[in-house]
Amino acid sequence: MTNLMILLAAVFLPLFPMSMLFNAIMAKISQPYLRMALFVIWPQIGLLILASSQIDIPEWIIIWAAATAMFYAFRLTVIRDVGLWTSFLATSTWALLWIFSASAMAEQAIYIALTMSIPLVVLTLLAHALVTRYGAAYAGLFGGLAQNMPRFAGVLVITVLAATATPGFPNFFMMIKASVLSTPLLMVMLGLTWLLWSWSAARFIQGMIVGTEPENKQPDISLQATWLYAVVLVVLALAGSFFIGGLL
Amino acid sequence: MEELIKYLPALPLVSAILTHLLSQNMGRAVSQISIGIATLTFVIAVVLFALNVSGAPNAVYSWGSNWGSMMFDPLSTLMAMVISGISLIVRVYSVRYMAEEAGYGRFFVLLDLMAASLILMVAAGDLIMLLVAWHLVGVILYFLLGHDNRSHSAFRYSFWTFITYRFGDVPMVIAAVLLFQATGSWSLNVIFDFVAQNPDATTYFGLSLTETVSSLIAVSAFARSAQFILHIWLPYTMEGPTPVSALMHAGIVNAGGIIINRFAPIFVHTNDILHWLFIVGLITAVIGSVLMLSQSDIKKALGYSTMGQMGFMIMEVGLGAFSLAIFHLIAHGLFKGTLFLSAGNVIGEARNNDGIPKDDLYTFIVERRSPKVRQPWLIMAMITLIVPVVVLFAAHYFVSADFIQKQGAIILLFFGWVTGAQLLFSTYSMRSSNPWRLIALIVFSFIVVVIGYTVISHAFDSFLYPDQQFGDQLYAAAGIDLGWFITLISVLAIIIIIGWLRVYYTHSTYANKSSKQSHVWMNFYALVSREFYMTDLFASLNRKLLALAAKLNVWFKWC
Repeated sequence: MTNLMILLAAVFLPLFPMSMLFNAIMAKISQPYLRMALFVIWPQIGLLILASSQIDIPEWIIIWAAATAMFYAFRLTVIRDVGLWTSFLATSTWALLWIFSASAMAEQAIYIALTMSIPLVVLTLLAHALVTRYGAAYAGLFGGLAQNMPRFAGVLVITVLAATATPGFPNFFMMIKASVLSTPLLMVMLGLTWLLWSWSAARFIQGMIVGTEPENKQPDISLQATWLYAVVLVVLALAGSFFIGGLL
Repeated sequence: MEELIKYLPALPLVSAILTHLLSQNMGRAVSQISIGIATLTFVIAVVLFALNVSGAPNAVYSWGSNWGSMMFDPLSTLMAMVISGISLIVRVYSVRYMAEEAGYGRFFVLLDLMAASLILMVAAGDLIMLLVAWHLVGVILYFLLGHDNRSHSAFRYSFWTFITYRFGDVPMVIAAVLLFQATGSWSLNVIFDFVAQNPDATTYFGLSLTETVSSLIAVSAFARSAQFILHIWLPYTMEGPTPVSALMHAGIVNAGGIIINRFAPIFVHTNDILHWLFIVGLITAVIGSVLMLSQSDIKKALGYSTMGQMGFMIMEVGLGAFSLAIFHLIAHGLFKGTLFLSAGNVIGEARNNDGIPKDDLYTFIVERRSPKVRQPWLIMAMITLIVPVVVLFAAHYFVSADFIQKQGAIILLFFGWVTGAQLLFSTYSMRSSNPWRLIALIVFSFIVVVIGYTVISHAFDSFLYPDQQFGDQLYAAAGIDLGWFITLISVLAIIIIIGWLRVYYTHSTYANKSSKQSHVWMNFYALVSREFYMTDLFASLNRKLLALAAKLNVWFKWC
């Protein structure tokens, strides 16, 4: 029973190769609101399974989880499709929730997972905005968004930074806390995962915003939408600093 | 009043927000907000520094209970003053320099954010604040260097900087976590007290806590301060705007020296780490200087010059001269900032020049002026040797009877000697119609350099490390066996003397003759001109890793 529960949890708190299921599902879904809902609900199901089954998580699973996070972070570096990029990042990030679930922080893990999901939700909305304008959302396909859609580019850059654990945002404090709960091997794995996220984020940003203005000009997002995104990101940063940061 | 240090980073942050919000309405005039608040920041930093100098006690001011604190101490106030001063100059320079560039407001926002992060970094009172600032400096620099968002190459090279910085962040995070696990606190003061009381504390696998943490911090410092082999990002960042180059070379790249000074209470309990710092610094200084010689692009040459200077800075901490490293980074910051800001003018001047080399023949035939006299090389070589020996013996008789026995003091004089001789060599190349006046000026400059090094080092030591015992412990931690020390100093002195003599002799004998270069020399030049193939090596590694990631994605069907 325990093994079955761990296996089930490994689907929702993605552990390789069960993680492939989540990415395959996400690849099939193009409806943005469904994707957004999945980003919020999926890890919560995994945490719920672990909480209800009261399993003592063995050390090797934690190392497996960290390896999964590192593996997807590495593969993330060459992903160009925004939708796929978001789901790979989700897989890499959520795998780290095993570290919290194995500690005395299982209850807080729910909130940590929630704050992890917010940048992914925002990215999904931004990807949708691109698809409606250009018919696709690939880094490098059009480029020059900083010239053509400066407001969109600004929001996109900050969201990508938030999702890849830039200070102030919840994922930064989550990484520090996860490191505190770790052994030296795990610390190094977490560090490398973080490094790979940054590498991937820089390539992603470069592919999206850098370049001359595209010939096929598209309208920028509205000022109201920009303010709305800004408020969400500021609230996220405050929650990161005061709530997740307060756990340190 | 001292509590103002807590709010000091808030000022540039407010400036960034106001600049962003008002840039649409105010246009180019928005830079005045940035400059006004930067001036206020500088004034407050000067006041805080003055308070510190006048004896206000060190203190820590907190917002939160576990983390979120700022330290009021000599290192933080001194560096806050330097950072706010240099960033103010850069902003004033940028007002006109960036006037034709797109994203004018964004540039000032980023400069403000950078100033806030740097001040936060030098004054952080706990490890979380330090990590936040340490990380943010890398992120903001990435966007500053890639300010021209139409340029793929600017972003490509700013990525090199970003990823090297992130590589250096990882050991810093692990060091912070190990310290937290050992002490249960993020506070730097609590950690330093713990280490002072438990210098032999161990961490995982029975490793010494101080040695492990110091090595990790050292690696982090190497990445930030462009030590060999983590240096390649530095000379390739010239696609960024010149004011950013100035800020980076004047302030940001100095983070390695600052962080090692911040963790001095930990480094003082190490055995071999400082020796490693010395070796890495030495290699970096030599390679940086050699690579600089082969550059024809002025900004890239300055980049390699900075690398060499950073090598010297790390060498200094490796020798226990922690406060001298701070003096060095401030002095280097000021002159390198000026050099970068002037580089644009030099390039403009070069464009306007007709390009005809004004050698002796040119001046004699075209300008109808006879060549000026150059000093005899033997006199210059003798000055190089005699002045430091006189200063050394004067110090022995007038300052301290055991001066000659002190490793630290000898090393400082050694640095003064090397620096002074460089100055001497530069002036030797000059020609003057009044050679004796030039020689008098040279001797005077040399004395100023050698004595200046000693006096300034003493002043910085007294300010940053007023506890004489602690200062002696730092030198002791860096000290080596006396026999080895004398041998090393002698060998180095002989190598340097032979080098100088050869240069003087070659210049005086073969100045106007073409020489045939040997095959070995040409191969060495090829190696240097390819920058020791380091960039090719990293580019190839980058390509291979990305190809592997792509292959994995194909194998696993992109799931």
